[in-house]
Amino acid sequence: MTTVIQASGLSRHYPGDGSPVRAVDDVRLVIERGEAVSVMGPSGCGRSTLLHLLGGLERPSAGELTLDGRRVDGLSEAAWARLRRRSVGFVFQAFHLIDELSAVENVELPALLVGTPPQAARRRAMELLERLDVADRAAHLPARLSGGQSQRVALARALVNEPLLVLTDEPTGNLDSHATGELLKILAGLREAHQTLLLVTHDPRVAAIADRLLSMRDGAIVDDTRLDGGLSRQAALAQIAGWDA
Amino acid sequence: MPPAVRLITRLAWRNVRHRPWQAALLLFALCLSTSTLTLALAVNESGTAPWDRLHEATNGFHVDAFVTPRRDAAPTDEDVARARQQLADLRNAPGVVAASGPWRLLYATGEVAGKPTELRVQVRDASPAAVGQPLLTSGSWLDAEDTVVLEDGLASTLHVKPGDTVAIAGRSLTVRGTAMTVNVFPYPIDPPGTVWITTSTAQRLDPAAVAGETEFVELRLSSPQDAETFVAAHSGSITDDQFRADMHAWQMYRNASNGKLEFVSIALGFTGTMLAGLTIATAAVLVAGRMAAQIRQVGTLKAVGVTPGQLTWIQLIEYLALAATAAIVGLTAGALIFPLLARPLRVAYGAPEAAPITLNRAAIVAGVAVFVVVLGTVRPALRGARHSTLRSLVANVHQPPARRDYRASRLARLTGSLRLPLPAVLGIRAALRRPGRTVANAAGLTLGIAMVIIGLALNGKTADFRLTAAQEEAYPGEAAELTGLLDQFRMILFAGAALLLALAAVNAAVAAIFAAHESARNQAILRALGATPRQTVIAFAVAQLSACLLACALGIPLGLALFNSVAGDLGSAQLSARTYAAVAAVALLLYAVAVAAPARLLAKRPVTPLLAYE
Amino acid sequence: MLALLAKEPAHGYELRHRLARALGPLGEVLNPGQVYVTLSRMERAGLVRGDQVEQSAAPDKKVYEATPAGRDHLAAWLADSSWPKVAPAEFHLKLVAAAATGLADPSALIDLQRRELLRRLRKVQRLVEEDPGDLDGMLLLEGTALRLQADVRWLEACERRWRAGDKQ
Repeated sequence: MTTVIQASGLSRHYPGDGSPVRAVDDVRLVIERGEAVSVMGPSGCGRSTLLHLLGGLERPSAGELTLDGRRVDGLSEAAWARLRRRSVGFVFQAFHLIDELSAVENVELPALLVGTPPQAARRRAMELLERLDVADRAAHLPARLSGGQSQRVALARALVNEPLLVLTDEPTGNLDSHATGELLKILAGLREAHQTLLLVTHDPRVAAIADRLLSMRDGAIVDDTRLDGGLSRQAALAQIAGWDA
Repeated sequence: MPPAVRLITRLAWRNVRHRPWQAALLLFALCLSTSTLTLALAVNESGTAPWDRLHEATNGFHVDAFVTPRRDAAPTDEDVARARQQLADLRNAPGVVAASGPWRLLYATGEVAGKPTELRVQVRDASPAAVGQPLLTSGSWLDAEDTVVLEDGLASTLHVKPGDTVAIAGRSLTVRGTAMTVNVFPYPIDPPGTVWITTSTAQRLDPAAVAGETEFVELRLSSPQDAETFVAAHSGSITDDQFRADMHAWQMYRNASNGKLEFVSIALGFTGTMLAGLTIATAAVLVAGRMAAQIRQVGTLKAVGVTPGQLTWIQLIEYLALAATAAIVGLTAGALIFPLLARPLRVAYGAPEAAPITLNRAAIVAGVAVFVVVLGTVRPALRGARHSTLRSLVANVHQPPARRDYRASRLARLTGSLRLPLPAVLGIRAALRRPGRTVANAAGLTLGIAMVIIGLALNGKTADFRLTAAQEEAYPGEAAELTGLLDQFRMILFAGAALLLALAAVNAAVAAIFAAHESARNQAILRALGATPRQTVIAFAVAQLSACLLACALGIPLGLALFNSVAGDLGSAQLSARTYAAVAAVALLLYAVAVAAPARLLAKRPVTPLLAYE
Repeated sequence: MLALLAKEPAHGYELRHRLARALGPLGEVLNPGQVYVTLSRMERAGLVRGDQVEQSAAPDKKVYEATPAGRDHLAAWLADSSWPKVAPAEFHLKLVAAAATGLADPSALIDLQRRELLRRLRKVQRLVEEDPGDLDGMLLLEGTALRLQADVRWLEACERRWRAGDKQ
């Protein structure tokens, strides 16, 4: 396994009233390729800030960060942008699709940014939309998509360049129960395909997708544990049966 | 104060405080338009029938009659007395209801402000005449020996004020005042300059330094329309081999007054009208632009139970406060600036300028300010109030009209196939997706471009006029004064053009700032997807430039059409194709810089707060 | 109860009072007799020790305190992250006990429990992914998943409560 993310002493402080707010404080973190990691913790614990730091949307105040073996904490805005378009896919709670572009145009955008020829980018975008079951909405503008469709388009956009790392920030936060279920299946599929995933969420179902759970509190990772392994299939079924018997 | 009103007032105030720059910009544009309007109205009123106004103010003549000794004649005293009597007899001619004169008219050399000058000297009474008493523009009328009143244009051109001393035919006289009259054009349009002295002063002048001896009477008729008939009936009665008689009907003076500085008066009126109209239009565009941004707030307010009526009040109060401020500032600024235009206006129109502010005009200015604001407020406010609360709340998720989907995407594909760099493609697509927004931005810019074209056309006309003026050096002594006067007019026109340009710049800046504000989220998304700050700036600038291109395409013909429709007498605007191209190029360049600046600022900001902006 | 005794020795009446306070509204249904029955059962099991204290004005009463064996038992109970049916009440007691005795950090207990619940939820979700055919089985799994989700959310509520408690 290769290491995708390696962070040590990673911190992000904001100037506050009096003492600085430590949104992320001295975080040490290693994420291997193919791992699906969820991050939970109370609101304001610094989950989203950590995600933004890992994706280069914010700069750390201190600490080191390597992405795919390359030091990135000192990169310029433009260098981060170039890195991001190939290696990092973002999925936001509010979808953040570009309103003026149709679904498929939104998806092909990162592909065009890395210089994929337009036809190839369109083909790739349509493939993804088909895989995520929103191909029939490809020509629609985001304003005419439902929440679930929007988030699937956003996910397709995050995946279009086959990024090393997909970062999702409360991906189900704006979705109803049914749409959440659909998205969970997709995320589970990504995990099975060994896509490296970081899921910041407070939805237990999303968190349970992951192989590994990080609990954050006050900007620090206070618990880092594996969710996989444990009970065998039989034992799990027995537990469920016993419970409800 | 009822609680609802207090709440509404507070909300309106918060609105202003929440976006102080927008409010300040809006106020600035409104103030500019009210100031300009105040000035333009005063200028236009000054230019409205100036000769008639002066004629009425001076109780001017309908017929004047001059008797001048023939050049080679040597009239005896008796001849002179007889001629004078015949002139005086005209006062009792049928149809004459009032008269003044005979007055003597001399030509003398004088020294005004240290400069030797040919002068036309009218000898009048110290007491006001029944007909044609010159209208004082400063100081007082002749009241003692050795005093003089100068024609207004002469005094202002040579910077002479009441209390100063001038020399006429070797005699030093104290200036009592300045005045205007309908039968003398202001200096330096029609040299030589005119002065008025009393009979007793005239007797002290050195006879050797006085040339020519003309006498004239001014007559008012019972039926002014018959003035020409009166002239035809009587002009033959005085003329003989010693004297030449010249009689003129008032219509001749009136017609002549229109031809003298027609260009200047049209240009002034035109500049004023255009400025006022375009500033009003600009302010209206600004107000409308800002209102669109408030639809969402409307939803929130309605959600907490503010009624549609109260909502309209909130916005009306906010804008009425702005309008009232703008009206006061505009009227004050206009009143302060207008005196600076007084002299050129008097010279151009040959009549005193209008009062800087009249009640009527103040009401017009206030009315226009309120109208602009109400125009911008009522429609969106009503629409916002009528919108379902929910729709207003989600209005920030802009909903482009669905029916444009197909067409826009075909155009978008076209831009894709042009092999433009991706940021440019993105920018063009964004512009195509929001044709309404692009047009709205373009509207402000279009006005700006139109302003520039008008300014350039006016400047071209001034240059034409200068050439002809240079050819007309009939009075070499006065050529310098005439040039100086024309320079002043040019200054006024340039100031007008500069104001137009400033407005265009304000327009562009506002359009750019609004657009940058609106595109903040998209730029942040693009950056999250891996677009570099430079790419996002380019994408934004290209999207905006399409608006600017549209503005050039519309603004140039609009400016020409406006110029040609209002300034018909000046001839149509003649600008070279190179000028148009240059205007378009410079406008695009400047606009690109203008829009890139806020976009660059945005690009420097971190992405995450922008994404959380919703 | 053991936890409360581990904190400080108390006699039966006091114990009942404290228990009622920790359990909040649930304490109302606590049978006074149950406390004494449980105490004597624990005494027989060697988890608590009772000392008769002579009182001048009132009848003698027994003051109970936790034995070392009792403390060990308590620690094991706290560390046990299995999630029984009547989870909320017992887990809540654990948090009260942990906070009262200082034997464990409530936040750590919450983390531990969440981990366990998410493991189970993950397992259930994977079972769902593996054989999506059987509708009745799906319903059962879905019910389990929903209960687990609810419990995780409740843990979040506990976390907020105990963090707020820390700061007081």
